[in-house]
Amino acid sequence: MKKKLILLLAVTLMFSLVAIGCNDNGGDGDVYPNGTIEIIVPYSAGGGGDTVARILADALSDELDAQINVINREGAGGELGIAEIAASEADGYTLGVFGYPDNFVLEHTRDTDFTFDDLEYLGAFDDMPMGIFAGPGSDFETIEDIVAYGQENPGSIAIGESGALGLLHVLAFSDHLGIETTPVNYEGGGELMNAILGGHVDLASTSSMSHDPIKDGGGHPIGFAAAERMDMFPDVPTFKELGYDLEMGVSRVLVAPAGLPEEIRDVLTEALDNIGNDPELKERFENAALPYRYLDYNDVNEVLERSNNTLAPVIERNSERFQ
Amino acid sequence: MDSLQIFLGILSPAVLLVIFFGVLIGIIVGAIPGLNGAIGISLLLPITFTMEPQIGLLLLGGIYMGGMYGGSITAILLNVPGDVVAAPAAMEGYPLTRQGRSKEALYYSIFSSMFGGIIGVLILIFFPPPLARFALQFGPAEMFFIALSGLVVIGALGGNIYKSLFAVFFGLFISTIGVDAITASQRFTLGNINLRSGISVVPVVLGLFCLAEMFLNIGKKSSEVVTYKEQDIKRMTVIKDIMRHKMLVIKGSLIGTFVGLLPGVGTTLAVFLSYGEAKRVSKKPEDFENGNVEGIIAAESANNATVGSTMVPLLALGVPGSPTTAIIAGALIIHGIILGPSLFVQRPDVAYTFIFGMLLTVVAMTLIGAFGIKYFAYILKIKMEYIVPTVLVFTLFGAYSLRNNVFDVLIAIILGVLGAVFKKTGVPLAPIIIGVVLGGLIETNLVRSMTIAGARQISLLQYMLTNPLAIGLLALVCVIFYVVIKMRVKTQ
Repeated sequence: MKKKLILLLAVTLMFSLVAIGCNDNGGDGDVYPNGTIEIIVPYSAGGGGDTVARILADALSDELDAQINVINREGAGGELGIAEIAASEADGYTLGVFGYPDNFVLEHTRDTDFTFDDLEYLGAFDDMPMGIFAGPGSDFETIEDIVAYGQENPGSIAIGESGALGLLHVLAFSDHLGIETTPVNYEGGGELMNAILGGHVDLASTSSMSHDPIKDGGGHPIGFAAAERMDMFPDVPTFKELGYDLEMGVSRVLVAPAGLPEEIRDVLTEALDNIGNDPELKERFENAALPYRYLDYNDVNEVLERSNNTLAPVIERNSERFQ
Repeated sequence: MDSLQIFLGILSPAVLLVIFFGVLIGIIVGAIPGLNGAIGISLLLPITFTMEPQIGLLLLGGIYMGGMYGGSITAILLNVPGDVVAAPAAMEGYPLTRQGRSKEALYYSIFSSMFGGIIGVLILIFFPPPLARFALQFGPAEMFFIALSGLVVIGALGGNIYKSLFAVFFGLFISTIGVDAITASQRFTLGNINLRSGISVVPVVLGLFCLAEMFLNIGKKSSEVVTYKEQDIKRMTVIKDIMRHKMLVIKGSLIGTFVGLLPGVGTTLAVFLSYGEAKRVSKKPEDFENGNVEGIIAAESANNATVGSTMVPLLALGVPGSPTTAIIAGALIIHGIILGPSLFVQRPDVAYTFIFGMLLTVVAMTLIGAFGIKYFAYILKIKMEYIVPTVLVFTLFGAYSLRNNVFDVLIAIILGVLGAVFKKTGVPLAPIIIGVVLGGLIETNLVRSMTIAGARQISLLQYMLTNPLAIGLLALVCVIFYVVIKMRVKTQ
């Protein structure tokens, strides 16, 4: 009998553990925040977007004096998680962190359940440009080498890429250089790194975060699609300096579902301003090799709008690639 | 910091405690169906942010090591592999449990895991740069042949040939579901957003192995399933017997090491390659799937050997080759530690504490495993009416926690029903898993080969067979194929 009781207890305990996992959030009090806030990250744990979300959750939780949980909801290149953020209730208790322009690219290349305007963009925290890298022993030292070879041999430069933005960057890069290249898709950053360091592709299209491991492995950067030279990598030229007006990068944004009540939005943007302008947050980002750039509510909406206008034509021109 | 300080650092109480708890958590999440080392690591990742980097790393490393072993406990005792990599342990260990030899099976599992784990970590300690450079040689063509070899090995697993073929094609079919990464066309997604990212192997395993077994156990009494008349066996007897099979252990560990080095391949392939090889060389291949300890030795040494080797490209090149190592990389990055060759120069304390500490994770795993066995075996005394709901709850919870998505629970349930039907009709389950794991690998690497061959303006064959390594791997596939055919003809 006693044994049965213990077992019964164990089973009950287990069920309650499961129930804790599904606990409801949201408070009933008047003052926001009054309950647990969830931040949905549409990627798996451990990546750049996840790191940003966790640093933010930590800082924001101190600032708002509220419990904040990060939830990884990966799948379909971020589509599942972003759709879930957009579809959740706009009560300030469900927020999201992801890398813009993932949502914009997904929306314009697939039949997604969300649009750009289904989200409210509260702030942006980093600015990580895409870049083009050559592997060890590559004949491509400079961008001129690539242009010269590409004009002579259309389509024969194989460029490895991963993620929606990786492909878009290859296409935009080739457009600007006026050459034809062949994008080769890889599932993740690790596989792409293996391909470029092993010489299986000629070039790689990936973010500035890959700079150090590629350099360590004997490769070198050709250039970054950044507005200006990065503080972290002062030796790497921008494409602009090289004569190609190409700017493309990832910026991690904190979002809420559209329709957030104004008073809640104000609480959040004020808290973001407080932590965003704090040198401590900058330091934490830079420790994690994330180029910090805080954009407040007004700036982020303006910058994203501008960026959408430059991305849209590139996607449009290459629409057959995304079918 | 000199080496003595690093050495003393590893033996500090804090480090030892973290290793012990990491391994214990790993074994627990490994043993629970649906949870595995990777999920355990992502759950505990935030905790490591506040720790010193090397201590946080060893916590995660301990979970990784323990998780690779833990799955075999429930696999052997309940025929419910706690993790994909424990599927062979269920195939060989559970028949032993039914014969009242569960302790013996558990001892084989823990000591084979120990040998595999040590060999993997020693390789991590001694050979990172050359092995990492070797791994870089594997391009799309080589990866294609490796994956193909895994598919060919299915032939060695046994069972009716037509049912096996059906099973592997079913697995390959599951792997085609989703958005094709190359052309972005949707296949069998039925307009459902959740199917676009495809069906991952975890809910498939949970359904086929765990749920199906429980569905079939509903209404049965424990005594109908296993005879609990436990035979005693001495630990030394098992260790000596494993030593007699040292070639199996070495081969399993080397297969695990080799497969672990390759990015994106995964431990499942290593486990089945090693298991198939054990059956090929066995003097009693007909005993396989009826409780042959050789299968346990081969599979369990292979999966723990991958732990060390998957970290080789991570530490030597900064290239995370698996989801688990990607999370470990994330744990380092948040501490501002850049991975790659400079790690050993800039933060030798972190690098060396971590790789030598990994040896201690094997020690902790062995101690917990070897001395915990008599407690693990109590599971068998629990009545079936408690086991079935418990396993069902954990399995469904595990399917959910994979991506925090209810859809994966649905997939697991559907495959659970199918799995019960397959079990009743004698369709083998392992080929389905191998098909799911390898289908995507074969396809993406073939398409990548075609794309690059197109860019180089050469034929696909020319591209795939220029590298001597690729030719060697193709030869290996042919040899395995020949051996499998010969084995089949002999047993007919």
